[in-house]
Amino acid sequence: MTTATSLSHRLSLFSDRHFKYLMVAPAIFILLLIGVFPLVYSFVVSFQNLTMSDANTSFQGLLNYRQLFKDTRLWWALAHTALITAIALPLELVFGFLLAQLFLERMPGRQVYVALLVLPTILSPIVAGATWRLMFDVRFGPVGQIVGFLAGSPVNLLWTVNPNLVYPAILICEVWQWTPFMFLLLLAALSNVDASQLEAAELDGASYGRVLRQIIIPAIKPVIAIAVLIRGLDLFRVFDIIWALTQGGPGTMTETISLYTYVIGFVQFDTSYTAAVAFLVVLLLTVVVTWVLRRMELVR
Amino acid sequence: MVRRRKVLSAGSLALFAPSLTLAQSRNAAETAVAAAKKFSGTEISIVWEAGLQSLDPLKYSGPKWEKLTGIKVKVVEVPTDQMFTKIMQDFRSNAGAYDALNVIPSWMPDLVKAGALEPLDALVDRHGYREELNDIAPAYRDNQMKVDNRIYGFPDDGDVMLLYYRKDIFEDPKMKEGFKAKYGYELAPPKDWKQFSEIGSFITEKMAPKTYGAGFFRAAPYPQYMYQERFRMEGGQFFNADTMKATVNSDVGVRVLRQMLSDNKFMPPGVEQWNFVDNLANFLQGTTAMTISWPPYGRWAAGYGTNEEAMKWVPKTQVSGKVGYALNPLGRPELGVGFALSVASTSKKKEAAYLFIQWLNSKQTSLERVQLPYTLRDPFRTSHYASAEYRKLWPDAGAYLDTIKASGERGLLDLSLLQQDKYDEAMSKALSSLWAGTDPKTVADSLAAAFDAITEKVGVARQKDAYVAWARKPGAYPGK
Repeated sequence: MTTATSLSHRLSLFSDRHFKYLMVAPAIFILLLIGVFPLVYSFVVSFQNLTMSDANTSFQGLLNYRQLFKDTRLWWALAHTALITAIALPLELVFGFLLAQLFLERMPGRQVYVALLVLPTILSPIVAGATWRLMFDVRFGPVGQIVGFLAGSPVNLLWTVNPNLVYPAILICEVWQWTPFMFLLLLAALSNVDASQLEAAELDGASYGRVLRQIIIPAIKPVIAIAVLIRGLDLFRVFDIIWALTQGGPGTMTETISLYTYVIGFVQFDTSYTAAVAFLVVLLLTVVVTWVLRRMELVR
Repeated sequence: MVRRRKVLSAGSLALFAPSLTLAQSRNAAETAVAAAKKFSGTEISIVWEAGLQSLDPLKYSGPKWEKLTGIKVKVVEVPTDQMFTKIMQDFRSNAGAYDALNVIPSWMPDLVKAGALEPLDALVDRHGYREELNDIAPAYRDNQMKVDNRIYGFPDDGDVMLLYYRKDIFEDPKMKEGFKAKYGYELAPPKDWKQFSEIGSFITEKMAPKTYGAGFFRAAPYPQYMYQERFRMEGGQFFNADTMKATVNSDVGVRVLRQMLSDNKFMPPGVEQWNFVDNLANFLQGTTAMTISWPPYGRWAAGYGTNEEAMKWVPKTQVSGKVGYALNPLGRPELGVGFALSVASTSKKKEAAYLFIQWLNSKQTSLERVQLPYTLRDPFRTSHYASAEYRKLWPDAGAYLDTIKASGERGLLDLSLLQQDKYDEAMSKALSSLWAGTDPKTVADSLAAAFDAITEKVGVARQKDAYVAWARKPGAYPGK
């Protein structure tokens, strides 16, 4: 009898302690199924020879990973991605900050202007790309016509063909669409900077540069870090805008890692090799993101 | 014993005589309809190129087939560049979602090697279609129908590149006189690329910006077909057949790229960005005096069918009655893409699907289909070229059909290897670099390196077999 009571008590205790785990178990199982399983499966696939045209799907060891080092198109794609990220990210940050500073002041119609400024961010990137492709069109596009008007004679600017113009075209489109995102985040952050500190600094006669360096930036640093991280990751995955504007051309001059992965994965169906590329990207991003998080002291 | 056999065969003959006589008296379309009635009430699916092409089964042949046989046709529209992938995906997953297929002939070896296509020989014989297949023009019949000597598809689209030129400009006495004085020969459709360049430059010099000497589509993926043609016609070979090393960076290869780039100079500004529709619009509006493209340009330039609702996007022609048709410079144009009708090996309704494609492809139905103004199917049968009905469609339709026939007879096949889509992509990328101003030698070297990398990945020995089999075909290289 005592043993039975004790067992019942123990079961009751176990149930009380672990009931919460039982409740969340289905959700965790589903998350693992849709999150971890594909990851593990694609890792396995990366050691196979899975292609669209070859029935032989046998394991081939590290062959796909060895091929990564010989694939110059892959490394160029990574370089193009890094270039776009390195230029677009600071531009978006600076323009976003300047706009936020501008709209920090009370002004008539402020809310309307803010709403208008945010419009590009609402657009789908593929629509933004297609719109800018029309804007850059050599015959009908307003960009060429405005430049021609300013130059005093018609100009033949092939924005999506000329190697000197193709990156500026992508960057203009990218910065146009995503600067408002930075602007919104920074506007919210700047609105929360302690006004008493700013007033005190002003009374002490501190210059704007000093106020910026010593009060504003430290105050909004966590928001900047998050904004940079989100946009940095977005830029690393940039696809739609470039696909709509240049499809990675001329040649492979503007092919980013997302475009290249799409081509080998979903056009040429080199599934196993694509999985290897994906893991390389995951590895690179993990290293970069960890470094950035530490550097920005977001994770201690 | 002999007597019994004779009696038996006489008996069988008597038994089957009515059906044999009936089959003989029917054409292939009627035979297909009669045989398909037993599948009445079912539905088959067919993969078709999205856009204008698919209006054929959606608006015309699908509903007509349903009316004749009671079989419903579900049209699966797929963009051209995804057709291979979708077909292979369906095959690999064994989903059996597609019954009949439109297949680009240069992909056929890949699809057959994978096992995605059903061999059709037995069905062809069972439904008495072999005789009508002989009416398909030899360029398509001999090159786009079989793999390893077995039938896997019925060539169904007479795609071939033609030269279109402005007769009014070429026949203008002042232009003729001026041209002869400058170059020493008559102004006429160019016989080679040097003449093409001289004529193009001359017209641009005299008439631009109203009219330029020529315009081509330069945006991917179509220019690669023009490159393939020109490269081979100038003496180029894609590979060394012994080593399978790419030879597209030979002197010929570099020269051809250089000439192609140089031609842009007498074409309208921005030609580097032109796609199929840009080129069409410029030619129809009279901005260019020469262009090379597929047969629909000729029909639309004459204004045939462009008042149809589905054709509203085609710019109204300003050059109706002014367009002449000719063979491309050097006289052996690229067949360029094309479509063949096949049956998916994973289909659960193979015979119904087969009967539909036999009916579509038959002499009778195909003649109706190639005259549909809103689709892009081009004449591909000897009987189409000779059709009195077609020749009456517009004043120059006879000359148009004669040129298509002559072009088809001399047509060059698209390169067709294992994983051909990768070689196609490499050529498209190379040409896009060329238009951007990259040195032709660098472009040719990069293209050769890309070809070699693909070959190595596919397997040199396997690819060599595929290349040798392709190169043996009559339309692979101009010497053959």
